Amino acid sequence: MLKNYFLVAVRTLRRHLGYTTLNVVGLALGITCSLLLFLVIQHELSFDTFHSKADRIYRINVDKVTQHGPSYSAGTPYPMLATIKASLPELTPATHIFNLDEGTITVLSTNDKVAPQRFREENNILFIEPEFFDLFDFETGNVNAKQAIAAPNSLLLTSTIAEKYFPGQNPEGRMLRLNNEVNLKVTGVIPDAPANTDLPFIMLVNYENSKKINLFSNDTWNSTSSNHQVYFALAPSASVQQSEDRLNKITSELRRLSPGEKERYTFQALSKVHFDDRYSNFGDRTISTTTLWAMALVGLFLVLVASINFVNLATAQALRRAKEVGMRKVLGANKTQLMVQFLCETGLITLVAVLLSVVLAELLLPFLNKLLDLQITFSILNSPAALLFLLAELLTVTFFAGFYPALVLSGFQPISALKSKVATARTAGISLRQALVVVQFTICQVLIICTIIVHNQMEYFRSASLGFDKEAIVTIPFPSGQAKKLMALRPQLEAHSAVKNVTFAFAAPSSNSNFSMSFRFDDYSINHNFNLNFKVADEHFVETFGIDLLAGRIYEKSDTMREFLVNETFLRNVGITNPEEALGKKLLVNGGNSEGPIVGVVKDFHVGSLRNKIEPVVISTWSSLYFTVNAKIEQKDATAALAHLKKIWTSAYPDDVFYYEFLDDTLARFYEDEQRQAHLFKIFSFIAILIGCLGLYGLVSFMVTQRTKEVGVRKVLGASSGSILVLFSKDFAKLVLVAFVLAVPVSYYFMNKWLQDFTYRIDISYWVFFVAGALTLLIALTTVSVQALRAAFSNPVIALKTE
Amino acid sequence: MIKTVNLQKKYTTDEVETTALVNVNLHVKQGEFLAIMGPSGCGKSTLLNIIGLLDNPSGGEFYFLEQEISKFSERQRANLRKEYLGFVFQSFNLIDELTVYENVELPLIYLNVGSAERKQRVEQVLEQMQIAHRRNHFPQQLSGGQQQRVAISRAVVSKPKLLLADEPTGNLDSAHGQEVMQLLSTLNEQGTTIVMVTHSPTDADYAHRIVNLFDGQIISENVKELATL
Repeated sequence: MLKNYFLVAVRTLRRHLGYTTLNVVGLALGITCSLLLFLVIQHELSFDTFHSKADRIYRINVDKVTQHGPSYSAGTPYPMLATIKASLPELTPATHIFNLDEGTITVLSTNDKVAPQRFREENNILFIEPEFFDLFDFETGNVNAKQAIAAPNSLLLTSTIAEKYFPGQNPEGRMLRLNNEVNLKVTGVIPDAPANTDLPFIMLVNYENSKKINLFSNDTWNSTSSNHQVYFALAPSASVQQSEDRLNKITSELRRLSPGEKERYTFQALSKVHFDDRYSNFGDRTISTTTLWAMALVGLFLVLVASINFVNLATAQALRRAKEVGMRKVLGANKTQLMVQFLCETGLITLVAVLLSVVLAELLLPFLNKLLDLQITFSILNSPAALLFLLAELLTVTFFAGFYPALVLSGFQPISALKSKVATARTAGISLRQALVVVQFTICQVLIICTIIVHNQMEYFRSASLGFDKEAIVTIPFPSGQAKKLMALRPQLEAHSAVKNVTFAFAAPSSNSNFSMSFRFDDYSINHNFNLNFKVADEHFVETFGIDLLAGRIYEKSDTMREFLVNETFLRNVGITNPEEALGKKLLVNGGNSEGPIVGVVKDFHVGSLRNKIEPVVISTWSSLYFTVNAKIEQKDATAALAHLKKIWTSAYPDDVFYYEFLDDTLARFYEDEQRQAHLFKIFSFIAILIGCLGLYGLVSFMVTQRTKEVGVRKVLGASSGSILVLFSKDFAKLVLVAFVLAVPVSYYFMNKWLQDFTYRIDISYWVFFVAGALTLLIALTTVSVQALRAAFSNPVIALKTE
Repeated sequence: MIKTVNLQKKYTTDEVETTALVNVNLHVKQGEFLAIMGPSGCGKSTLLNIIGLLDNPSGGEFYFLEQEISKFSERQRANLRKEYLGFVFQSFNLIDELTVYENVELPLIYLNVGSAERKQRVEQVLEQMQIAHRRNHFPQQLSGGQQQRVAISRAVVSKPKLLLADEPTGNLDSAHGQEVMQLLSTLNEQGTTIVMVTHSPTDADYAHRIVNLFDGQIISENVKELATL
């Protein structure tokens, strides 16, 4: 019996190649997208699940409550590990990790005649305790990694880096110099860190060395850096709550909190690290579960749209199968047998689509990886989960797409079926087919609206005024603590005509590197319970970045903090309305070590991404904290300017690698995740529309065939081609309209929610909806017209003869 | 074999009620060859469909093999159909996607006949109907006469007790038509009961008895005096 079903299915599908192609292509597109999204979701969910202790590994976070709202950080004070080792034995194994996210590596030569090679690395170099390997299960190959990292100056290289520094050689025992500060000995080469970890690394260094590299490291409880984190495994018998309480109690006396400030150390399960965007991680990327759900939903939508095509096409051309159904019933087939037959046929189409989508997915994955900056690998034979997913998809799509057509077809009365007098069911005047087309159009319009809104928000990010000039500004870092060398060369730096302005600073006005400080203001009697965002820069900062000065003057040149500039938000927070009033008032910062007057007030500017509010800012000099030189250059002479800057820079730091970045690129990176989402939205809305159009095209072509006689009669009675076109288009236009009414509130709701994440955002304007509606209408009517024109221009004589 | 008592059939649409059969009383004996004649729309096909268990009557009683079955469900009727009935249609109704062999095999598949026996029975019927040389052809590659022979093969392969034919020669030229009638006649001689609807007096001549239907009622019956009966 099954063989017979199979035979009929194969032959039917081959005979109606157009129909089969429409269905297979539509389904394959839908399934490919869903498979790719599945792979992305699977990849994201797999982060750090490969450690054997994964279910009891935690990170220590710091949750603060201030009167200006909560703040969250994964950076812990440097003495934390020593404290938990001494007082909390259930937190074991434990390690702190210092992350150096960029550095200069000098490969020291074994031979005096060969000059040492230099590399600039922008990937994570982790400084760890040997216990790191008791806690985490990274592959170490043949190396006893715990032992290899135990010596004070030891270094483990990953195989890619080993091959980069020592091509074809055994690096063991060779010496590397990091940031021109510490010499490290290669004690082993281990496999590359997997792509699915939030602790990515290109090399691992014994923790002790971080103290020489990290300018901020000290033994106080008041300084934290998000590059310094503590991980541990909690003993199986211990309770998170109790241990957390004990840690907070033990450390409460060590921390000096300002009155009204509440701070708590919390344990965050390793399984949450990848999904909680309140805290950063060393991989520098979190993904919210909402985004994952959105992806799953989009995947589901695409398969749904494709399945709807299938249902529509199958029921639309049920007539063609009526005779066969009738005859099979006459021969004694019962309804169940016929349903099984048609489900088998759907299954076959779906199977072909699934196989095709496996090939497509393998071909498209590299592009998706590039788009999303991921490293997902996929081979169907090595992915049992993907195989299972496809099997589940095969079964559900077959069932959902095949069930209704099978029900309709198998429900035909044998006599009417033989006479081809069958009509599809109508309920309350709306056929299921129309309802399904509405669902498709709704999905398409929701996706189009979301795409436009996301795109607009991205445009806003790009073009919004940040309160400073970001065009043609190049940021060049230099070795920490060595600003003096380059500062001495300022006249040379400025000597080139294409270099307009130069300023030495901690970082650009808006940057990922921020540091904050508590402070006292004016008569010091009032406790202002908020932190300052501190901008450390020389006296050229305001001019170079084109920041507006509202009152007073710019501070004088100095190596230490003597005078201050503040922004408008600062004034608002301390209750001053007139900028002039602030001038001359005293500020005490840096733990009481620096005091000076406010000499000027600048206009507010953004210090970070537009997700966040503008913070109270103080700008002052402090030359030992200058890490970058920022130059405003002539855009059209950029190459010459850069060459000039490089020449001077290299003369100051002959042992380091020159590196630069344009400020607008740095700023664009704030919105990388959103940009990716925007791209993804665009691609998938396009595919959804494409699948929808395929279905519509098929549907209309069948309707045209079915209504050949009607069209013939109308033409004989004098209908013009235009009116025939209207006849077919009218019905679909109505469906687009109904879908529009449904799509508007749905997309408004979701996009409004999405925009809430950004403090600075666009308003959703009504034209977005109309553009989406009009676009869908246009696409739908174009698709319809292609087929309807065939009917409109047909010869009525031939049309009537076919009856 | 078949007995109807005051059999009625009405078709109801939203506004119109059409009476197709009015109190039809008919008795068909085993081994009989009955022809139903009458003008278009007189209810011939409706009667045949009810006898063929493709449709339920609206009133009256219907006995098939001594069983009252007018209230049978579609599934029960399907089971009776595949076991006892064979159908031949004017438009052949072969399944285009199946070959001659596969079309003839189909009823046996629904009867769950094992594959070896199926092969043997299909081959036998195809030989008998002289169409075996076309076994791997698709219906559209055959002439009308050949198609009808395939349809008859399909109807008889399950060895039905009753063969129902709805204008079996309607789509054929006279030579092919005669050939088909000869085949039916032979099958009847071999013991199959046949009920045939026809317009053609020539075809009706092959039957033992002719029932004339007009406006849903039997208006006359002619029994053929045959020495062979």
